Amino acid sequence: MTTTKPPETSYGIGETKQLTGRVASLLGQIPTWVLWFFVVVWTIPTLGLFINSFRTRDAQRNSGWWMFWQDGANGYGSLTLDNYSDVLGTSATGGLANGLLNSMAIAVVATILPIAIAAFAAYAFAWIDFKGRDTLFIATVALLAVPSQVALIPLLQMYAGGAHLTLPLIDKTITVFPDLGLAGTIPAVWLTHTGFALPFAIFLLHNYISGLPRDLFESARIDGADHFTIFRKLVLPLSIPVLAAFTIFQFLWTWNDYLIALTMIGGNRQALPATVVIASLAGEFGRLEHLLTAGAFVITVVPLVVFFALQRFFVRGITAGSVKG
Amino acid sequence: MDRVIATVIGIVVAVGVSAIVFVGANKLFDLAPRRWSIFSTLIGGASSLAIFGLLWGNRLIDQPVTVTAIATVVGALTGYALSRTSDQNAHLAIGAVAGVLLGVLAGASIKPQWRPGIDAIALVLSVVLFLAVGVGIRSLRNTNSNMLRPVLLWGSIGWIIGAFLYPDLGTGTVAWTVIASVFAGGLLGGWVGTFPLPDQMMKRDIAVGSRKFIFLIPALAFISMTLVIPLIRTIWLSLLTGLPKELTWTGLSNYVDIVTDPTIIDFSDWTDVFTSRLFIGGIVVLIIGLVVARISGKRTGERLGLNGGSLAAISAGFILVAFAVFASVRGTISNNLWWIFAVTIFSTGAGLAIAVMSDRSKGENVAKSFIFMPMAISFVGAGIIWRFMFVARPPTKDQTGVLNAIWVKIGVWSNSTTATTVIVIILSLIILGLIYIAFRGRQAGNISVAAGSVVIALPLVWIIYKFLGPGLGGYEVFEGEVFAKPILFLTESPFNNFWMMVVLIWIQTGFAMVILSAAIKGVPADLLEAASIDGATESQKFWRITVPQIGPTIGVVVTTLIVTVLKVFDIPKVMTNGNFDTQVLANEMWQRAFTELDFGLGSALAAIIFFAVVPVMWRNIRQMQDQRAST
Amino acid sequence: MKRLRNVVMLLLAFALLAAACSSSDDGGEATDTTATTAAPTTTAATETTTPPDTGGDTTTTAGEVDLTGRSVTVFGPESSDEEAGAIQDALNVLAADTGLRIIYTGARDFSDQINAQAAGGNPPDIAIFPQPGKLADFARQEFILPLPDDVTATVNDQWPEAFVAFGNVDGAQYGVPNKADIKSLVWYDKPSFDAAGYTVPTTLDELWALTAQIRDDGGTPWCIGIESGPATGWTFTDWVEDIMLRVEGPDFYDQWVSNEIKFSDDRVKAIWNTILDEWNIPGNVFAAGGSIAATPFGDNGQPLVDGDCVLHRQASFYSAFLPEGTVTGPEGIDVFFFPGDTADNKPVLGGGTLAASFKDAPEVWVVMDFFATAEYAEIRQAAQTERKDGSLSGFLSANTQQDLSVYQPIEQSFITLLTEASVLRFDGSDLMPAAVGAGSFWTEGTSAVNGDKSVDDATAAIDASWP
Repeated sequence: MTTTKPPETSYGIGETKQLTGRVASLLGQIPTWVLWFFVVVWTIPTLGLFINSFRTRDAQRNSGWWMFWQDGANGYGSLTLDNYSDVLGTSATGGLANGLLNSMAIAVVATILPIAIAAFAAYAFAWIDFKGRDTLFIATVALLAVPSQVALIPLLQMYAGGAHLTLPLIDKTITVFPDLGLAGTIPAVWLTHTGFALPFAIFLLHNYISGLPRDLFESARIDGADHFTIFRKLVLPLSIPVLAAFTIFQFLWTWNDYLIALTMIGGNRQALPATVVIASLAGEFGRLEHLLTAGAFVITVVPLVVFFALQRFFVRGITAGSVKG
Repeated sequence: MDRVIATVIGIVVAVGVSAIVFVGANKLFDLAPRRWSIFSTLIGGASSLAIFGLLWGNRLIDQPVTVTAIATVVGALTGYALSRTSDQNAHLAIGAVAGVLLGVLAGASIKPQWRPGIDAIALVLSVVLFLAVGVGIRSLRNTNSNMLRPVLLWGSIGWIIGAFLYPDLGTGTVAWTVIASVFAGGLLGGWVGTFPLPDQMMKRDIAVGSRKFIFLIPALAFISMTLVIPLIRTIWLSLLTGLPKELTWTGLSNYVDIVTDPTIIDFSDWTDVFTSRLFIGGIVVLIIGLVVARISGKRTGERLGLNGGSLAAISAGFILVAFAVFASVRGTISNNLWWIFAVTIFSTGAGLAIAVMSDRSKGENVAKSFIFMPMAISFVGAGIIWRFMFVARPPTKDQTGVLNAIWVKIGVWSNSTTATTVIVIILSLIILGLIYIAFRGRQAGNISVAAGSVVIALPLVWIIYKFLGPGLGGYEVFEGEVFAKPILFLTESPFNNFWMMVVLIWIQTGFAMVILSAAIKGVPADLLEAASIDGATESQKFWRITVPQIGPTIGVVVTTLIVTVLKVFDIPKVMTNGNFDTQVLANEMWQRAFTELDFGLGSALAAIIFFAVVPVMWRNIRQMQDQRAST
Repeated sequence: MKRLRNVVMLLLAFALLAAACSSSDDGGEATDTTATTAAPTTTAATETTTPPDTGGDTTTTAGEVDLTGRSVTVFGPESSDEEAGAIQDALNVLAADTGLRIIYTGARDFSDQINAQAAGGNPPDIAIFPQPGKLADFARQEFILPLPDDVTATVNDQWPEAFVAFGNVDGAQYGVPNKADIKSLVWYDKPSFDAAGYTVPTTLDELWALTAQIRDDGGTPWCIGIESGPATGWTFTDWVEDIMLRVEGPDFYDQWVSNEIKFSDDRVKAIWNTILDEWNIPGNVFAAGGSIAATPFGDNGQPLVDGDCVLHRQASFYSAFLPEGTVTGPEGIDVFFFPGDTADNKPVLGGGTLAASFKDAPEVWVVMDFFATAEYAEIRQAAQTERKDGSLSGFLSANTQQDLSVYQPIEQSFITLLTEASVLRFDGSDLMPAAVGAGSFWTEGTSAVNGDKSVDDATAAIDASWP
């Protein structure tokens, strides 16, 4: 790689000469300008949704969201909170409050479980030596490529009726996973999310944990620390940025998940999460789709809070600081 | 309120139990070198609990609670007893007695309908067979070892199979059931008893060596349950055909059907590539990039000098050419490759750019939050959002979609002399500025800045040409009047594919940004400081320190994105459902398996997705590991 | 330690073997193992399936068994507050009478979900199917159960024969009609239509003549849009079915639905061409989304009200898509019957939903029986109208014993059309196998409409996809 090159060639004479004067300062500001350009472009679609969430159905359908200030004049009804009150007051599919509660129950556990399990596994793959480690690791991560939809029906069968297998030749059936009646319940969603999340979680955490400085582990081992202690006292604190990153994603995915929850819970509306409640609002043929504008914002609040809360863990130099200290 | 409390309790219990089990397992094995007797007691109890739990789970025993509790206590006492003596014979005796006790317990509590009948021939045959196998294996591996252990183990396995699994169940008596399980238990218990009391070295080995299993088993168990077994089932189902309840063997015909489907790939228009504007433009940009790279390469003595300017031009040219190819070669496979290519490159590129730029800008957190927002908006919201972006309206109406509103507006300007003049003047000024920068850059010897400005100026020149010449934007002139001509983003093939990719790029950039941002924060500050002291420019620090440091993380992002994109089905499903030449494999799979309940064909598509992507991942991960090893 | 690893390896190998075996049971020998392996929730299907001819051993009479406290789950496609709420309101009345706990859950994506739930062994007690074709699939695979005699009697008693037949599979009654739609309707703005001097056409030829006349007068005759997300194309298939019923007659239609007449039959292709020719005449169609294929079918209400077009052919439930505050009836947006090939020929293309049961239990049959009654229709209609603040509810029942006074006049006229139709056929795409009816018919039709494929290619592709 380039880093292995001697410094003389890395910093060639021609390249180090700087542009001078105003041009340089202008060029220096380009990244900031480009960044804010990205921000604006990325935000416009969401902004449109946000403004439309205050407009009536007819207004949403008939004029662009940037014309919102003329809705009244155009006869579409002026800006209103009706969409929000309809969404918050819905009684369909168990009601929104119930849905949000279920979403929370699903997302919290389905975030904590995979993080914990994956952190241990990632540590083992990175720092415990055993035969076949790399192969097992790659095989695990390769399961990322399984389209998870194909697992939905077998898992549902297992939750509904347990897993049984008939032994060949002797024709006896034994139970591998008892029929705990999990189908239609939130624990079924936990288990499913946890399993589906693990390959990516292990992949991401392993990438980070295996990059921690080797000296750290060696000095700890000389001090007589066992793997569990090293994991708890060293690896976990050092991995906070990546744990925060994964927490954000896993929380979002589980919070915003529609398909897995609906499939595992099915017709048990007491347990359905907010995404299903909101999607149901639109009705058959999407007749009331204009309500989804408000619905989308109502359920976005929680993941955004999570993002803001965890963002402060992306701090420079945690690794470097600890190595020194 | 009750629901809230119940939910919170549920969460606490679920998390708490998992934590206790895990930490408990670690603590348990911590005990092995220090407190062997406690360790042994607990392991004994846990083993019995596991065995009787299995019987319980299979609904084989009466009064499972009492029986399992007694068995656990017996197991624990056995473990304790084994740990108190090092006498080999005593060990054997303790094990056998415990096995007999547990055997009595199991045999007496097995439900009548599961009591095995007697099949003496099968029993003898089975025991002899397994003994032969066990002893044979042991002799092959180690000729002069103690034969007691394999005899006990394999004998008990043979006995269990011959006595319990082979005969008819439900025909036996209590007496025979007890006898049968006492024998099984005694043999197994004896086998346990053959293990000597471990010395300190072995105890430590147990404590250390067990750790990988404790760390890995939860993950592997979950993965087997949710992914491995369904994957095997999927591959099996892909060889069957028919409705779910009447599947029949069909071999590889599902795969043949998929591969021979005329819509899977269509080369009929591939010659269009060479005449497409994208292709020509792409080649031009590519050549400029290569030339710049060559010139700047000469200065540093490399064959090609890859820096900001040349790399940007080369990749832009490459992307344009690739798009031209994807737009000309149609079909499901081509769509999928296009998705992978566009979303992976743009999301990673934009995510990296934003992560780097925000790393040194004021308002970093604000900027990142806005970019991240699309990830937080549920898919339901994203579908609605992009409907508002893409919508087209007839010429007589105002455009309500953002993109068409802009496009049509440009068309209007293009037909107005005043607007055209203003735009041309503004653009010309920008171009002049760029030429000035290029000139100064050339003077300062910074060829990449010079080339970059020229490359940026090119499209502006092209826009001026369009405005002055053929016109730009969404309009058409009919009988002297100018009419709006919106783009039908989702129905005009082939670029409707790209517009749907835009949605995913919009979402996934936040993903790439967060992960890469975390990685950039992890680049050791001292390395960067050292480079600054050596007089490296920002761009040099980026290319020569940051990028190699975060290389493996870029690998993670790219690999994850490739997989995500190949599995994408909700965007095509909601936006076009594969109409208008936009079908992708995952949506096709969903349609076959879930809408039509054709599990055979659906599974075959899933298997194709899996097998197509595994080699790519394998290579990626290997490469990342090599890279890691070399840095 | 080596030993421990070997044990784990052995266990893993065993698990893999086991997995392979258990999936093989899903296939070939499923019936052998069901008895031992199925969970309590699914055993019902194998243990208690009642042969249709001896349906007497199940009972519905609530009086015999005390049903208090038992619960019944109902799962269906209608999910908005108004529809799902009205269904629940009606079920609550039954619940109050019987002491049952009845929960209705509506979900978007019902059609895909019910497949997953049935195949996954977690079906609801009752599902409300919008497609008789799917109901028939489920009946043939023994996911759902035939109705006991007394429920069948209620259905026969209270519903027109045609609607009963939609729930009949191979001679056994599985479905209870729940809701009805009439699709052969043309929506128009009556005041401006009359003012322009147009008259309601009574034959198909007159309809095309009217189309030409409006066009010649400088107006745009039709509002058409077939975009509907994952279901894009269904509006086109409705046109094909409606016109086929008129031009070729019901027998031809039935043979076509059962694939005895292919899509590539010249007569079928002629119908496609008739429609596409009309749609493609410049100035004939106002497409609110830029092109017919890109226009959401729900976006045709506003242009109709605004006068951008004169006619819109769509089902009775389209009232819900009209802009807020639209006047319906003779003073505003009205409908006329999509005319037959002669003035006397009035074949009706209908649609609707059918309830079917996954579980044989008295409490389930009580609910199923209730769905067939006039009481259900009346309570639901009243509740749904109220939830829509008195505008058209979007709900219709063809129950013959219901009290029509709960309906508004325009809704009553729909019901009259449905109950008095000499020829009534269900939406053909809902009767066909899902691979066609919810698959290639939609997608290939859309390709043809969008001009991406010729009619010959599109119809040939549909034939090829017929399972």
